[in-house]
Amino acid sequence: MSEPPIRTPLRDRAQQALGDRFLHEALDIATTKFIGLRREAFGEFPEGERLRDDARAIKEATLQRLDEHLDRLIDNVERRGGHVHFATTGDEARDIILDIARRTGARMAVKSKSMATEEIHLNDALAAAGVTPVETDLGEYIIQLAHERPSHIIAPAIHKTKGQVAELFARELQREVAADPEVLTRIARAELREKFLQADLGITGANFAVADTGTVVLVTNEGNGRMVTSLPRVHVAVMGIEKVVPSMTDLMVFLSVLAKSATGQKLSVYTTLVQGPRRAPELEGPEEFHLVLLDNGRIAQIGGPLREALACLRCGACLNVCPVYRQIGGHAYGYTYPGPIGILLTAMLNGPRAVKELSHASSLCGACADACPVRIDIPRMLIDLRKQVHDAKIAPWPERVVFKALAWLLRHPGLYRLGGPLGRLLQWPFVRGGRIRTLPLFFGQWTQTRDLPPVAARTFQERWAALEREGR
Amino acid sequence: MTTRAEFLARIRGQMATTRGLVEAATASRPARPRERLEVLRRELVERRPRSLERFRTEFERVAGVFHRVATVAQVPAVLERICRERDARSVVTWATSRLGVDAEPALTAAGVAVHAMPTAVPALDERQRLRDIIARADVGVTGAELAVAETGTLVLRSAAGQPRSTSLLPACHVALFDGAALVETLEHVGIVLEAWHDGAAPDDGGAVINLITGPSRTADIELTLTRGVHGPEEVHAIFVDAGLPARPHA
Repeated sequence: MSEPPIRTPLRDRAQQALGDRFLHEALDIATTKFIGLRREAFGEFPEGERLRDDARAIKEATLQRLDEHLDRLIDNVERRGGHVHFATTGDEARDIILDIARRTGARMAVKSKSMATEEIHLNDALAAAGVTPVETDLGEYIIQLAHERPSHIIAPAIHKTKGQVAELFARELQREVAADPEVLTRIARAELREKFLQADLGITGANFAVADTGTVVLVTNEGNGRMVTSLPRVHVAVMGIEKVVPSMTDLMVFLSVLAKSATGQKLSVYTTLVQGPRRAPELEGPEEFHLVLLDNGRIAQIGGPLREALACLRCGACLNVCPVYRQIGGHAYGYTYPGPIGILLTAMLNGPRAVKELSHASSLCGACADACPVRIDIPRMLIDLRKQVHDAKIAPWPERVVFKALAWLLRHPGLYRLGGPLGRLLQWPFVRGGRIRTLPLFFGQWTQTRDLPPVAARTFQERWAALEREGR
Repeated sequence: MTTRAEFLARIRGQMATTRGLVEAATASRPARPRERLEVLRRELVERRPRSLERFRTEFERVAGVFHRVATVAQVPAVLERICRERDARSVVTWATSRLGVDAEPALTAAGVAVHAMPTAVPALDERQRLRDIIARADVGVTGAELAVAETGTLVLRSAAGQPRSTSLLPACHVALFDGAALVETLEHVGIVLEAWHDGAAPDDGGAVINLITGPSRTADIELTLTRGVHGPEEVHAIFVDAGLPARPHA
């Protein structure tokens, strides 16, 4: 299922975010901190650069034999008593999960943080079917109480102050709550502990799944992933097909770079390797284990222009370093996955039409590719998306006209060279103190938020020609 | 409803349209994991003192509390002190045979109720009762299969007599380990995991392996680090110099 198109233009969503002073401060503090932690973690880990190359190579090699690895994963999950389901669309994934809930008579589902279930909008579907979904990651719990969506892949409530969280908790619990992260965390612990013990269904995503052993791997810091996979009667894990890794040896390469890129930890607190339902000699564990393999636009990219994005680990590092994300935050992007990688994933899930504006929400500075633990060339694919958007004629018409004119101009060097003198002539009424600060008509939209450098007194080509003449 | 055959056929169809971006290989998995692990263990013995120092440093960096005793006989006294310091009334432990230590006499004498988990699986209502005991316990005592020096990580397996929530529900988790459990890197953990999955699983094995790196934590509110969200707010590791008795399974 693709997500519904967004009515408000990106420019307005960004404008609104830019006007939110608190959001700005929160984003600035959080992303700066994340960047520092990541730099520190890799700084004291000299093997890090090699492991990033290895991790990327494993992702590509896995894709080249994806059918075999998935086949082995399915066999091994089933060998350990688990059930595997196949979902081509988000709708199908939701139906599969609702069906499991109905069959097992589930009334309450505890969820460990999962972008895949966000992507398929599972919570609304569960609630509509009479199963109460309870998000148990503290950040997800907060935004669930606020009826919002995550604004960051790994820190979903990054945009909220402790004061706002205290108000939410107070409203929910009908009592005074101090605006102190420690107090708030303790309250959430007590509230959610009861839910863990009562819930019938545990729903998680999967950070990885090991084909050799049929193991689903969950990485959390709070321990909710462990609760959700140990206490309820039934465990359902939802994973995109690209999360499969061949062996335990491969898994360790990813674990070596994931937490360092995400939070700057050497390893997250809990890495939980789940292999099927409770085994006979165990005291606890779910009686049923289900793995839902999700396509939702991924398969089409195996041979498509967004193939590289299938290597993404969902660590969030590219969000923190992105000058656009840092200004507008996650909600302004409008879809499940924000940030540079989010634009690519949005296109993967919803088609290029969904990113006709978003594909331009990047300065193409390349910071995202530098930060990415698996070195995904995000800018290259963003440029490619812009081209797709242009070719499919879904870009706004002024943009298409401008690009067409520019393309024509670039093919006519004589006319292009005229541009220098002509520009100098036309710009003189607008140059003030060496900058163009305002322009008339719709050109003014450009100068509303930034200055335009004037055409130089002598263009590079003119200077080059002069140097040639001087024989240097 | 999409079937396995349809799903994989679509993947194969897409794969046929591309040769991939570059030539690439997965990590090289040891051909004979058990033999590789034997070699590794021999190498590790020589470097044990340094590994232990590194483990301690990293474990303390993630807010773990490190203890060291000469022999198993001294473990109950450490447990008793931990209970006393945090005024614990109830302790749940892995089965005595799994833990390699019987802490019950010492702790009972100190007025702490000790619940050692059974190795045989009881009926459903008894299982429910035991879970409630674990959920209400102040301290959970487990063993650790591995201690990873590079990251300060403890590796635990669920199995008969080794319930998963012993290290999860109580606010304080104490894990026992010895020199044989020490490995240096995550790469070494990979070798051990390959060996564990080489051939048939042990009959009394469980379905979960946990890598635990310090107490439960979050930074979800204003990125303020807070410990003890859903899991324990304290994690202790007790190193036994003379070694723990071998557990019934590998």
